[in-house]
Amino acid sequence: MMFAMTTRRALMAAAAGLAFAVAGPAFAQDGKKPTIGVVVKIGGIPWFNAMEVGIKKKSEELGVNGFMIGPTSADPALQVRAVEDLIAQGVDVIGVVPNDAQVLEPVLARAMKAGIKVITHESPKQENVDWDFELASVQGFGEAYGKQLAEKMGGKGKYAVFVGSLTVPLHNAWADAAIAYLKKNNPEMELVGDRYGVAEDVDASRRTALDLMRAHPDLKGFLAFGSQGPIGAARAVEERRMGGKIVVLGPFSPGQGRKLVHDGILTGGYMWNPMQAGEVFVTLGKMLIDGKEIKDGMEIEGLGTIHPDMEGKDIIVDQLVNINDETVDKLAEMGL
Amino acid sequence: MPETRSRRLPIGGVEGWLLVVIALIVAYLSIATDTFLTLVNVFDILNYSAVNVIFAAGLLVVLIAGGIDISFAVGASVVQYLAVTALGRIGGGDWALGIALSLVLGACLGAINAALIYHFRIISIVVTIATFNLFFGLLMFFTGGVSIYDLPDWLSSRVVLYDVETDLGWAEITLPVLVMVVTVFATWLLLRRTSLGRQLFAMGDNTEGARRLGINLGAMHYLAYGWLGACAGLAGLMQAHYAREVVPNALYGRELEVLAAVVLGGARLGGGRGTLFGAILGLALVSITQNGLNLLGVSPYAFRMIIGFVILVAISLSGETIGLVASRLRGPKAAGSVR
Repeated sequence: MMFAMTTRRALMAAAAGLAFAVAGPAFAQDGKKPTIGVVVKIGGIPWFNAMEVGIKKKSEELGVNGFMIGPTSADPALQVRAVEDLIAQGVDVIGVVPNDAQVLEPVLARAMKAGIKVITHESPKQENVDWDFELASVQGFGEAYGKQLAEKMGGKGKYAVFVGSLTVPLHNAWADAAIAYLKKNNPEMELVGDRYGVAEDVDASRRTALDLMRAHPDLKGFLAFGSQGPIGAARAVEERRMGGKIVVLGPFSPGQGRKLVHDGILTGGYMWNPMQAGEVFVTLGKMLIDGKEIKDGMEIEGLGTIHPDMEGKDIIVDQLVNINDETVDKLAEMGL
Repeated sequence: MPETRSRRLPIGGVEGWLLVVIALIVAYLSIATDTFLTLVNVFDILNYSAVNVIFAAGLLVVLIAGGIDISFAVGASVVQYLAVTALGRIGGGDWALGIALSLVLGACLGAINAALIYHFRIISIVVTIATFNLFFGLLMFFTGGVSIYDLPDWLSSRVVLYDVETDLGWAEITLPVLVMVVTVFATWLLLRRTSLGRQLFAMGDNTEGARRLGINLGAMHYLAYGWLGACAGLAGLMQAHYAREVVPNALYGRELEVLAAVVLGGARLGGGRGTLFGAILGLALVSITQNGLNLLGVSPYAFRMIIGFVILVAISLSGETIGLVASRLRGPKAAGSVR
């Protein structure tokens, strides 16, 4: 079994290498529409489906060939392979929403060496990029959640934190900010266990939430960073018939969580619009292709006025959208 | 089967040792936490293990018949999509129709594997790697990765078969557990109480011998893969039932988890050996360990390390494995005679 898998992987790597050797210089072609390929964490989930809509929409508007690649599982190795494929295809811009920032560093360096512009999202301080953009500052986002959790829990009680995976830098940074905020401002609130890396998997989130409610009967809140985490935790809360008694907060897809929000089980959260992020990938990519310089105080569509960190290559803005009983339907109708 | 029944233990060696390891873990957790050995927790473990057990029962049949299948989990996703879409078209349907449709669709996908393996004489792992990619590729292509959130009401409302309120909240047994019990029982009947089951064992143990005995190998292939397909279809329906949504890659990767647990439970890759009890123990070991780690409040950073370690201990303890390694060293023919 494992032998067969490694063989298959080796063959694929060899095939990719061959494609690279043959198609390497193709990126220099003139007269063709510039191409922008965006590799996301995982395909087939609503968040990235919405991002794809944004990429497609903006690409049509700006006359570029933009597309999204979604690996079948949230595996950094699959992203590396996808980026290798894009280098081989000779695209002009590679966008990535990394599963693991460090694993991608070498392959992104190779892309830049091949003259390809590299943009990342949800990965501040990423090495080997032209720019990374964030629609929410880590501090702002994490603290907004910390504040809301404290408010809904009445400033005291036990809570648990989920992240997409223990190696997703952004989720962990949010968790850090939220936990730090709560420690400072609400000393009566207690974090249970360490953080759990289950929030990209609805089944694992549900199971872990059930276990934690069992281990801590007085648990009062779940804070889940990762698109499936709030849904899974809310399902568990519903099963335990604790709807309304346990607060479930986190960024999730409004269409997916709409019913749970109206039933009062999923409390809500903040998000940014993945469709907007998809558009920014293309807008920013087109600017880089055209050789436009990113400057402090300039206005970019979808980002607003920016104050980029020139050294860290980060563009960070706060474009938070509140998800609650009132806004969820409107957001869901946008296809999110 | 006679060869396992005639051992010193009433159950096979692997199962015995797994049971010992599980008993040790359970004993430890019962002392270390005051929530592990409660009705609510035990029911929780049952509820969330049900889908994996249904998968495992089907997979065991294929492993016993001497094959392997890694396409069943994505096959289940395909069945989820087809069944829910079809039911939506005809105006909703009900449980009977949903279950029948899932069984039939699943069995059809299994039959595709069986046909390729038997008629084209391709090794099962190669065929199912191909169909794994094919099923998943077709699913992603036709759905565009879009999830279905609007399930028929009967499918998305929770079915609680038994509930009782305890100090720790509500303890519930839900529908997937009943389906799991029925599936396991049906699989047990097939394997242990029918001549078809004996023929599956015979084919897995010695294909040429089985052919000379006049066993219809083609029919056996369709039976084994069809059975797994039907089980997978049912598991898919149950997953959609409790998740209350159909997500195309929700079951992706489940195949290795289940395969590892079934093999851990003593099923032989290569056929002819394996018990349902062992497969269930294999799954139980992993589920209970995971559950215990959460209850103990162990840092999630250590989870995989501990689960891997527990599996290694369970496997090394089993005398069967030690005997197997020794006999392998003596050559494949000797290995056959030991068993």
